[in-house]
Amino acid sequence: MTKEVRAPQAVRTAVVSAGLVVLIAVLAGIHLTQGTSTSGPLDVVKAIFGHGDAQTLAVLEGSRVPRLLAALLLGVALGVAGAGMQSVARNPLASPDTLAVNAGAHFAVVAISAFGLSLPLVPVGGAAFAGGLAAAVVVLGLAGGGSASPRLVLVGSAVLLALQSVTILLLLLFEQETSGLFAWGSGSLTVSDLRATGQMTPIVVIAVVALVAMGRKLDVLALGDDNATVLGLRVRRTRIGAVVLTVALTAAAVTVAGPVGFVGLSAPVITKLLLPIAKHRVLLPVSGLVGVVTVLGADVVLRAIMGSAAAVRVPTGVVTTIVGAVVMVWLARRGRGSGSRRPAPAGRVGVAGSKRRLVLISAVLVVLLAVIPVVGLMLGDRMVLLGDLANWVTGNTGTALTFVLDQRLPRVLAALLAGAALAVSGCGIQSVSRNPLAEPGLLGITAGAGLGAITLITIVPVAGAWAIAGAAGAGATVVFLLVYGLAWRSGLDSDRLVIIGIAVWSAGMALITLLIVVSDPWNSAKALTWLSGSTYGRTLEQVVPVALALVALTPLLWVKHRELDLHALDEDTPRVLGMRIERSRLLILGASGILAATAVSAIGVVVFVGLVAPHLARSLVGGRHGRIVPVAAALGALLVSVADTLGRTVIAPAQIPAGLVIAMVGTPYFILVLWRTRP
Amino acid sequence: MRLLTPAVLVATAALLLSACGTTENTAAAPSEAAATGPVTVTDARGKAVNLKAPAKRVVALEWGEAEMVASLGVMPVGAADVAGYNVWDKAVPLTAEVKDVGKRNEPSVDAIVGLNPDVVIIAEERDSPLVPQIEKYVPVVVTKTSDASRNFDRLREDFKLIAKTVGKEAEADKQLSEMDAKLAEGKKAVEGKGAAGTPFLMADAYLEGSTVSIRPFGKGSLVSDTAEAVGLKNVWTGQVDPQWGLGQTDVEGLTAITDPKTVLIYSASEEDVFTTGLAQNAVYQRLPFVVSKKIHKLESGTWTFGGPKSIIFTADQIVKAITA
Repeated sequence: MTKEVRAPQAVRTAVVSAGLVVLIAVLAGIHLTQGTSTSGPLDVVKAIFGHGDAQTLAVLEGSRVPRLLAALLLGVALGVAGAGMQSVARNPLASPDTLAVNAGAHFAVVAISAFGLSLPLVPVGGAAFAGGLAAAVVVLGLAGGGSASPRLVLVGSAVLLALQSVTILLLLLFEQETSGLFAWGSGSLTVSDLRATGQMTPIVVIAVVALVAMGRKLDVLALGDDNATVLGLRVRRTRIGAVVLTVALTAAAVTVAGPVGFVGLSAPVITKLLLPIAKHRVLLPVSGLVGVVTVLGADVVLRAIMGSAAAVRVPTGVVTTIVGAVVMVWLARRGRGSGSRRPAPAGRVGVAGSKRRLVLISAVLVVLLAVIPVVGLMLGDRMVLLGDLANWVTGNTGTALTFVLDQRLPRVLAALLAGAALAVSGCGIQSVSRNPLAEPGLLGITAGAGLGAITLITIVPVAGAWAIAGAAGAGATVVFLLVYGLAWRSGLDSDRLVIIGIAVWSAGMALITLLIVVSDPWNSAKALTWLSGSTYGRTLEQVVPVALALVALTPLLWVKHRELDLHALDEDTPRVLGMRIERSRLLILGASGILAATAVSAIGVVVFVGLVAPHLARSLVGGRHGRIVPVAAALGALLVSVADTLGRTVIAPAQIPAGLVIAMVGTPYFILVLWRTRP
Repeated sequence: MRLLTPAVLVATAALLLSACGTTENTAAAPSEAAATGPVTVTDARGKAVNLKAPAKRVVALEWGEAEMVASLGVMPVGAADVAGYNVWDKAVPLTAEVKDVGKRNEPSVDAIVGLNPDVVIIAEERDSPLVPQIEKYVPVVVTKTSDASRNFDRLREDFKLIAKTVGKEAEADKQLSEMDAKLAEGKKAVEGKGAAGTPFLMADAYLEGSTVSIRPFGKGSLVSDTAEAVGLKNVWTGQVDPQWGLGQTDVEGLTAITDPKTVLIYSASEEDVFTTGLAQNAVYQRLPFVVSKKIHKLESGTWTFGGPKSIIFTADQIVKAITA
């Protein structure tokens, strides 16, 4: 780098930093004047210049300053943590959110609360650190130490889903004990003292200083492991050190305010836009400043729009997540296409398998498909035996048992059909996007469906099954069109599609949270249940839409299995072979979207099935979609059915929503697959 | 895979063989013959529900309703989250015989039906898919559970509805007049102390680390109606929801309360947020009821969404606190 370049760069750094500091000062000033008491801007200004009345001083001391300091701490911690993680992983999508560190820390804190362990704050922070570190170690370890591959985000998302599911499960099971935690789970700044902030500040300061001190090493690390080793860097030690520090920062933030979403993702991204060639000693602190602007700005805007009294209900993290999602979408649209770098979907691919193996697998699946639903009918809070089932089929059971089985049948059917629909949908989406991470959940389709349904339930509390299914379908369509439209830029880049999908998914989930806390804050349990995917209270009527979609669209996708194969190869081959690529893609995505939306209307928002079932199918019967589609459908049906049966049985009479069981049962399997295929 | 397949087949076969037979005792004893004639009640949906006889075996899925049933001398055969109930509602404890039918948000249909109830009492708007489903098998009576525009009248209606369902109308009238007498007596005691019109704030709160959310019970909430019935005056004027009359705020929001005579009454069956979480807070310390030390914690197990017994329990404590 020559002097001519460095000088403007230094000036630019100075200007940007100064601008950020001024912006933070202005935001902090506004922030102090906002609040639920009558102490207005004028009172605050007087108080700052030493002429405040006692009431204003108390309000500043007891409420506004703690909130401001919490926001500052969070912004710095998450901004720096995000920048550090992106460097360690060499992946602009790495962040406390996508590496599941936030989720790990949050889970640890909720677990402590749910089990009634009332610990002083530092151990809570310690637990958050342990949870976050465990998540980071698992994610980075399975992703092969981190690289630019989408594998990192893939593993991170899987672990994130599992942790979120267990966390939601705890919130459900300990409804009364954890009722304050629902909003907190999205990151709340309503702090009433400086204890948490005060105890976490030293940790944040030490971690930030240490990370900045490591700046030059991180610069070298950015050149790649081999180059860094050649240059004499102890790569492993540097990486471990940086991970521990970034996790400590994230855990401190979670301990203070819960998981404030996407600050760690968007802050470094914005910083790199402002200072494109900044080294780490600049990048890290400036990311911290941008993080502060994000958190503070979100809080200021939220309270300015809603009014401070109403804004109390809305977690600040909801707003930062939506802001972060917008940044992510913009980033994805701005970035160049990813070119030809495209690994095959994870899972043991290529074992095309002998005829014998194929026949055997088919036979096992057929047997299981016959047995599992029967077992599903037999198990539950009340066990029934085959003789009962025989009586029931022939109409000879007593009223009580007839009723039990009558209401169990739609649940079993809903699980089977929705599982199959999600799996087929996942096949289509993974093929077209050529991305192992893609699935209807992570493309925002299920969140869109959920948003549609929840919106309708909010407006019309007694909406019928068909209306809810319709609203879910409409929501899914709108979100799907949004994702597709945003990802479309003179062609559809598959990486872009998935990144935008994840962004929209996060924003959708944040909006659902917003809708619940604003409209029905005292009924979070019901919303959580619905959102986490449950067959509870299903009727046969509600199963019809998904059945129709499955019957109509699975054969369609199966007939197109050669197109699916070609899409999964690369961008050029299908074109060379004369396929009308866009039309085919839209058709496949459309069919996949409809399947996912009907599945949501049948059992709620269930993620993971569309991810796991195609992977599992591929590892069983190889990479050809003529085989994958039916096998994945069978596996998806089995997976959800087993999960539903377990959820209805293990802690009866209480029930675990099927979607949560899937994430908990599916994740270990998924991690196993990833472990076996690690580079 | 090679090992897995035979294993799965063997396990399946074993399962199938062991699972033959039936669980049903086909000669299940029907409920004993009706002592009194059939009853018809019109529930909160406006639907006429016909019972062959006053219900003896009752399943109640919300705590307030379970309390009402039990207080009428009919111990429910099943209730949702019995353990939680006994922590949060000690006015009328449920006995160990009451079967837990699962969590309040998703009670187990199997468990409900397995109890062979005469009637299931469900609160309106909670678990809406449940009502039509259960109704296919057993009569369902839907209660209103809370209505912030007329909570006492609503409570009377719910209580009488339940009483008619279980054939205890006389007992219900007795308890309602007992409740009225208690409230009137309380009002008199409050007036006697010259404390009529004492302003009060009623709230509960949640604490997570340093994050505190406070839930004020606004005008129209059941406990607010109770306190007003004994002559106090609710000072919380912030926005509340139309069903429960609950608001939400932070510690700073409490500064809206300026009347120095204000009394704080709070509910905490588990964590005591007001004394543990807020005591050191500068805003909290300046609040009128903190300065004057007029703070009263309702006993653990005072259910703020209960029936007449809970009202009496709550009113007693409030009156005692104000007149002490």
